[in-house]
Amino acid sequence: MGHELNWGLPVISYLFLAGLGAGALTVSASVFLRGGGGGFGNGHFAVARYGALIAPLPVMIGCGLLVLELGSFQTGHWFKWLNLYKTITLSPMSIGTWLLTVFIGISLVYAYTFLPKDASAGDRLEPLRKAMAWIGVPLGIAVAIYTGVLLGAMPSRPFWNSPILAMLFLLSSLSTGVAAILLARALLHKGKRDADVAQSSYLLTTSDVLLIGFELVVIFLFIMFAYLTVGDVGYAVSVILFGDRSMEMFGANLAVPFWLGVVLIGLLIPALIEMFYVSPKLLYQRQFGPPYSVEVIVPVAVIVGGFILRYVVVVAGQITGPIGI
Amino acid sequence: MKRLGAGTATAAIGASLPASARAAVSKRKVQYGMLIDTRRCIGCHACSVACKAEFDVPLGSTRSWVEYIEKGNYPNVSRNFLPRLCNHCSHPNCVDVCPTGATWKREEDGIVVVDPNICIGCKYCIQACPYDARFLNPVTGAADKCDFCLHRVSRGLAPACVETCIGRARIFGDLNDPDSEIARMIASNPVSVLRPSMGTEPNVYYIAADHTDEHEARRQRQYIRVTTHRKAQERR
Repeated sequence: MGHELNWGLPVISYLFLAGLGAGALTVSASVFLRGGGGGFGNGHFAVARYGALIAPLPVMIGCGLLVLELGSFQTGHWFKWLNLYKTITLSPMSIGTWLLTVFIGISLVYAYTFLPKDASAGDRLEPLRKAMAWIGVPLGIAVAIYTGVLLGAMPSRPFWNSPILAMLFLLSSLSTGVAAILLARALLHKGKRDADVAQSSYLLTTSDVLLIGFELVVIFLFIMFAYLTVGDVGYAVSVILFGDRSMEMFGANLAVPFWLGVVLIGLLIPALIEMFYVSPKLLYQRQFGPPYSVEVIVPVAVIVGGFILRYVVVVAGQITGPIGI
Repeated sequence: MKRLGAGTATAAIGASLPASARAAVSKRKVQYGMLIDTRRCIGCHACSVACKAEFDVPLGSTRSWVEYIEKGNYPNVSRNFLPRLCNHCSHPNCVDVCPTGATWKREEDGIVVVDPNICIGCKYCIQACPYDARFLNPVTGAADKCDFCLHRVSRGLAPACVETCIGRARIFGDLNDPDSEIARMIASNPVSVLRPSMGTEPNVYYIAADHTDEHEARRQRQYIRVTTHRKAQERR
């Protein structure tokens, strides 16, 4: 493979981590603003709290990784990245920089309002919490979308140059955000079960099934349009499809991580397991109570799938280009 | 010395035009460009070497390079040369995506430049260039590429690759000056640019360029090999 990957693991990890954090904030703030309504009952505050405390960290780690990959940083210009703050342009990266900066600030304040051990709905931090949540919902969505727009802005990268990529990243962000909340709850509150917990788990799991469903639709559209298109895009997307084209042209076959990692492990298996446990309650009002192992394994699969999705997309975009010269 | 600027030409044309047209001519912007006549290229890499020497380009990186395109099955074979450099596009996507404003297209002469003192090395422009003309300079940590030898051109000299070309395959000048050698050559020859479908409107033109790509080997059922002579062994 003669292609050089200018954006490697740090950027891949960043896209994944920023998406997860943005998704966690959006979900947390949405659930919090919805309050006890919408069926969450008294469990809503706990759900919002998990999301709020999760959100800032992955985004900050991701941004740190981005700085590590900068050419300036690697040649010893440690603080040259501050040049990003001297201007604002229509470059997706410039807009993204400002969005991420605001995001980190807002999500930290939002997390702070949930820090006190006795934090509860209606305490003295409530007005601040509410204000941050109102900003947090659109901000989280903006950060999640921008990561896709960043990649999609270049005709020279036909794999990325698709308006639906940003949509895919948004859905994946929300889905991994929900998964992170479910996982944190399962790990930190092992064995603690009451009606509120069960009810909010049920709602989160149901929304995860929906998100994964939409994600599958978007992936289907992405592949279908590429497959039915001749030229650059068709050629670029062929690297993630099985078949002689991808095997012949590329040393590294991305079809395996895409179909096994993204579609099977990240989407189909979690969705099927979640549906298996959600459907009885949805259809027959039975008790919702998946075993502990499922509560852990399903979110882990969704999160791993989210990472592999970023990996496949970032690598595929860089090993393909326009046909002809 | 080849005539580069529009100065003398402007004066000559301006004299015979009405006042309004004369004003338009004198305000006309310069757009430097290059025409590469591949029929005159022998693939000697003198341009690549001159460029390396001119800018002390770090080992493993190239601002200017020559690709070899070998194709055909014996006895019908050919080897063509495709000298490459930054196209100084009229719609440079690399400039669109730069988050710090470190790269821009100069108003006065249309040259796309990078300021390594501003550039943070995010590599976004490297991704965006359809011609793979940019690279990360391992010494400065900033994006780097051909700048049409701005330091020479601004003093009225031709770029180093043009000066050194033994086949006189390269013509450099102002595309917007209809009297310049490059404009006259483009007007009187069949020319092409690379990847026009990218919509970048390149300002480097070719005469008799071989646009064959390795991807076409399957379709044409013949041997095709493209040698890039740079670290990236395949074209983007």
